Amino acid sequence: MAAAARQTSPSVTRRQDHWCGDFVAMASPCQILSKSDRATARKQLEQAAAEAGRVEAKYSRYRRGNIVDRINSANGSPVLLDEETANLIDFAATLHRLSDGRFDITSGVLREVWIFDGSDRVPEEGQVRAVLERVGWPKAVWESPVLTLAPGMQIDFGGIGKEYAVDRAAALAASLSDAPCLVNFGGDIAAVGAVSGGPWRVGIEALGAGSGEAFKRIRLQQGGLATSGDARRFLLKNGVRYSHLLNPQTGWPVVDAPRSVTVAAHTCTQAGMLSTLAMLMGADAEEFLERQGVRSWCIR
Amino acid sequence: MSAKNTGNIAQGLAAATCSLLGTAATLPVLAQEQPEWEFDTALLYYGEDGGRVQDLSLNLLARRLFADDRILSVGLAVDSLTGATPSGAVPQDELQTFTRPSGESTYQVAAGEMPLDDTFLDTRYALTASWRQPLGRDYAGTAGLSFSTEYDYTHVGANFALSRDFNKRNTTVSLGLALARDELDPEGGAPLPLGFMSDVRDLSERGGTENKDVVDLLLGVTQAVNENLLVQLNYSLSDGTGYLNDPYKILSVVDPLSGDAILRTPAPGAAGPLHQYRFESRPDKRTKHSLFGQGKYFMGGKVLDMSYRYMTDDWGIDSHTLETKLNLPLGDTSYIEPHLRFYTQSEADFYRASLVDGEPLPQFASADYRLGSFDAITAGLKYGWRTSSGKDFAVRLEYYRQDGEIPTHQLIGSHDQSSLYPDLDAVILNFSFGFGM
Repeated sequence: MAAAARQTSPSVTRRQDHWCGDFVAMASPCQILSKSDRATARKQLEQAAAEAGRVEAKYSRYRRGNIVDRINSANGSPVLLDEETANLIDFAATLHRLSDGRFDITSGVLREVWIFDGSDRVPEEGQVRAVLERVGWPKAVWESPVLTLAPGMQIDFGGIGKEYAVDRAAALAASLSDAPCLVNFGGDIAAVGAVSGGPWRVGIEALGAGSGEAFKRIRLQQGGLATSGDARRFLLKNGVRYSHLLNPQTGWPVVDAPRSVTVAAHTCTQAGMLSTLAMLMGADAEEFLERQGVRSWCIR
Repeated sequence: MSAKNTGNIAQGLAAATCSLLGTAATLPVLAQEQPEWEFDTALLYYGEDGGRVQDLSLNLLARRLFADDRILSVGLAVDSLTGATPSGAVPQDELQTFTRPSGESTYQVAAGEMPLDDTFLDTRYALTASWRQPLGRDYAGTAGLSFSTEYDYTHVGANFALSRDFNKRNTTVSLGLALARDELDPEGGAPLPLGFMSDVRDLSERGGTENKDVVDLLLGVTQAVNENLLVQLNYSLSDGTGYLNDPYKILSVVDPLSGDAILRTPAPGAAGPLHQYRFESRPDKRTKHSLFGQGKYFMGGKVLDMSYRYMTDDWGIDSHTLETKLNLPLGDTSYIEPHLRFYTQSEADFYRASLVDGEPLPQFASADYRLGSFDAITAGLKYGWRTSSGKDFAVRLEYYRQDGEIPTHQLIGSHDQSSLYPDLDAVILNFSFGFGM
């Protein structure tokens, strides 16, 4: 994917009243829309693609040798983190606290037993309990900038990375031009720049829902927009749909989560965290969002 | 575990995000769900001077946006026309009497006055509906229906369009087809071509209901030339067949030397015209070709829109239209748009100010000023603004002036250019309001 992001100089094409450039990063189609001039729009696109590639290379758990790989293969030894990674760990630690443990960057190992491929292979209780031993942020020792995980534990920035990259790219775009600019990495979006002309029109689709009803059009002029959904990732056994969202405290999927939650907030990162947390609230998603005082759209 | 344990985390999250991104987000979040329905409404007043046509029309367009760029549009228009239009008869130095189109009574025009048909009063209702959707990745299709009805006229139409994007959507080619069938049912029956205007209740020169069929074909290309310029080029062909006359237009039959209208005497005891008038006669087929070119130039927020249209038809009318608009933003929420339009057309081959007594009757003849040679200019200004809740308002004021010319060889005896084809001034005032629901 990073190879695609680094491909030969990206080009922008003219749409009605803006420039549009595409690339692929983080396994998602990515897009920059800019009402600036062509040269600036191209620069915004280049920098956004470079930033997406950088964040992906540094924080993808699928890459060997990056900081995430070093943390996950430390086998109980302390790891010294750079400033950016330490900031992300601080952020994750705060979110763990704010969400009463629902958001946990150490929950990724549960995927060793939960494989959400649409099949009916639901793991045994014992298997889940065994893996849960290696899950739980409180089991980690975080004394910034040194992180020590218990042997067998892993971290995963999957729930933060893309939104973080969107906000980073949006800040870069804003530093190049005051004109309106929209950054869209696979549905995680930020709009920056002057509030002039019409708003950006953003279409949101609940993946897997496949009907026109599960579709919203949002007009975004300023701020971030993120969508969490249970996508095509689920298990189905005896008529029970097991969402891919796992409760890190029980090791079992969240019950009664909406199919999709979209949140508008000041930044894409905030919107992404709120939509993820809302999904983790299951049946209480709407109530949770209501309390946060943000604009949100749930599809059930 | 219940959500109640997790209260408002928004503030804590904002602080954490702030230190992660190294910025403080203080700007308001501007996001709202796009309304399912969008409405565009407009109230238009068009008023000609000298007691001629006044038109008040109300237009409503509703659009429903569905997933995948599928759009349903429904339009409703109500037009209320009052006033009078030149009937085609030549002003005389004496009182003229005309039988009303209904054939039920007469009306009179004073000496020296331009004969206007004052029975011109109608309300028109029009309905349109169309469906647009993408067809595959590069194509889009539109299908629509139209219907309108007024006192003596009914229109039914269907239209189809197909467009295809090329070259990363920088080029769009479109093909359109429109079919229409119009039915005219004038009160008292459609006049026979070149039939005499007869006495009240004498319908011998009247026919019945007439039809007109029109087929329009359009071929267009839109091209994004560079980052600032968008160019459109259209060719259209329009083919009309059937009854193409205006049933209310007449010609005076005049003396070859004096130009005075030839006298007639109504039947004993009947009311009727005291001069001879014949109803107009147009060919029953008309083919128009038109070429249209438009360029939109974007200059950092300002938009210059220039267009030119050339139209030629087999009636001998050639027309040229040059139009320009300049959209100038005033701050973030409003704009001002000056507008200028020039129009010129040559007269139809069969256009004539009058019929000359004693000369062989031509097959086709019309004194309808709209088929004559004229120049027109429209100048106006539009001001638009958007409210914080996303509603769009605009007001447009325009002035229209038309100067006609009758070929000098058609001016006979006492005929005078300016009284046969008087200048026309009109004012156009338009209010529009767009909102979503």
